[in-house]
Amino acid sequence: MTITKLSKLTLTLGAGLALAACGADSSSSGSSENAEGFDTSQTINVISREDGSGTRGAFTEITGVLVSEGDTETDNTYSGATIQNSTSGVMTTVAGDPASIGYISLGSLDDSIKAVTIEGVEATAETVQDSSYAIARPFNIAHNGELSEVAEDFWSYIMSAEGQEIVVGEGYVEAVTDAPAYEATEGMSGNISVVGSTSVTPVMEVLVEEYTALNPEVTIDITSNGSSAGMTAAMDGSADIGMASRELKDEELDVLTAEPLAIDGIAVVVNPENTIEDLTMEQVKQIFTGEVTTWDEVSK
Amino acid sequence: MEEIQERLLGNSKKGRLEKIGKSISFICIAIIVCVVASILYFVTSKGLSTFFVDDVSFWNFLTSSVWSPGNVGEDGQPLVGALPMITGSFLVTLLSAVLATPFAIGAAIFMTEISPSTGKRVLQPVVELLVGIPSVVYGFIGLTVIVPFVRSIFGGTGFGILSSTFVLFVMILPTVTSMAVDALNSVPRHYREASLAMGATRWQTIYKVVLRSAMPGLLTAVVFGMARAFGEALAVQMVIGNAALMPGSLVTPASTLTSILTMSMGNTVMGTLENNVLWSLALILMVMALFFNILTRWIGKKGAMK
Repeated sequence: MTITKLSKLTLTLGAGLALAACGADSSSSGSSENAEGFDTSQTINVISREDGSGTRGAFTEITGVLVSEGDTETDNTYSGATIQNSTSGVMTTVAGDPASIGYISLGSLDDSIKAVTIEGVEATAETVQDSSYAIARPFNIAHNGELSEVAEDFWSYIMSAEGQEIVVGEGYVEAVTDAPAYEATEGMSGNISVVGSTSVTPVMEVLVEEYTALNPEVTIDITSNGSSAGMTAAMDGSADIGMASRELKDEELDVLTAEPLAIDGIAVVVNPENTIEDLTMEQVKQIFTGEVTTWDEVSK
Repeated sequence: MEEIQERLLGNSKKGRLEKIGKSISFICIAIIVCVVASILYFVTSKGLSTFFVDDVSFWNFLTSSVWSPGNVGEDGQPLVGALPMITGSFLVTLLSAVLATPFAIGAAIFMTEISPSTGKRVLQPVVELLVGIPSVVYGFIGLTVIVPFVRSIFGGTGFGILSSTFVLFVMILPTVTSMAVDALNSVPRHYREASLAMGATRWQTIYKVVLRSAMPGLLTAVVFGMARAFGEALAVQMVIGNAALMPGSLVTPASTLTSILTMSMGNTVMGTLENNVLWSLALILMVMALFFNILTRWIGKKGAMK
């Protein structure tokens, strides 16, 4: 291939690149900005979590995005959704894109994004506790029945009054109401491996910090890689404790012993520039299945 | 006499050391061969189990555009069409190579022909620095700079093939540049001198003589860059959007073989169909790596024949 041909090819492909990029379905041309300046004619940019995420599993089930027919379950999440594989990934994306919508653990909510109310109910620990906020799920921890002495002690700490106090302090709802006080055992030492949900990780990190302060000889490693990965690790014994931000599946419960450590809401989040304040469950379902594609369809 | 004969036939210290050295070298080579062979065997056996154990149609796998391993289609076949990922991988690879090639060759020409002293002093350290930056850093810059930039110009989410192309362009640029520099440096000095003596200008010499002589080396550099782009996982995963869809345009979320692998591998159980299809994607990646390797050797051979 001669230099001339090479340069011509480069120019042609470069021009093609520019044209192809222009062929995108960018925001609608007939813009309809509302009083606050948010263009509601924009296409909704759906941000979802990856397959195997407990948050996605719980969210799709509660909102009706996941359809069950007999033994088969079909996840109808919009195929054009941007997929992020962590809570922080969803938060970063939504915070940077005014037209986007996603869902995250309520406990991870911060000022960079805005949670919309669902059926007029705000997502808070109180509304999750009194069941008025519909999109909520348990944070589960699980093991395969073969816990070491030190792992068992850590488990009992999580379920103790002290552990549940941390759960509440982090903005979640306690799973155990009349929890017993933690009784520290002298000379506790060893390693514990905790693997699983990226949503459970923030509260687990605080629990680990407080527990290791009481038991300095204990080392606890947390691997944050998704609920399904956590359950798999707990089942095959590569982790002492698995974390899941959803209910366990039947095949997981056949092998694992599980207990909820907290109840958490799933906040539906938008960019702070977005003027949408409230959505119905039906609208949430329509957005995340791709039935509704522009913001003006849900802002009426 | 017997003493001399014994010394000649017997094992000297040097001879023993040589034997030990040879043995160590042989063991090292054997270990490398075994590791490579076992990786090839492992990925191939796992990758093919999708077709031989789970009875997925190989043709469907390569040509279907629906990727939903947990679900089954109307024909009873699992929805495991890898075409969107294969297309995505090839698109980002080709586009990033197209973007990087002129910049890389331009930089290489500057560093070897126009201003070698400045090239050595300024450009070479910059290129070496770019090589050393981890892919997660490129991905993070892509996520915070390139994605919003693409979004502001083209609309949409900003995630997609175009953002990935820009990230990979910067990532493969140092690889292609450094190899292009080597290719241009390998052109004999007397070619340049002969050209200039014939009355050619400096640019004519570069364009008609140096670049043409270095063409096999330059093509090898581009192929190496493409191989790097094709196999890149983390940086691409952060900016492509990871939607297992046929790319409708360059600025809608898409996915590559590597991005789907990194997203899904931790969430599947060994031995299940969901896990096996990911190994099949890994097998495609491995075959492509082999293809790039063969292509590089072929270009090298053609260059040597000339």
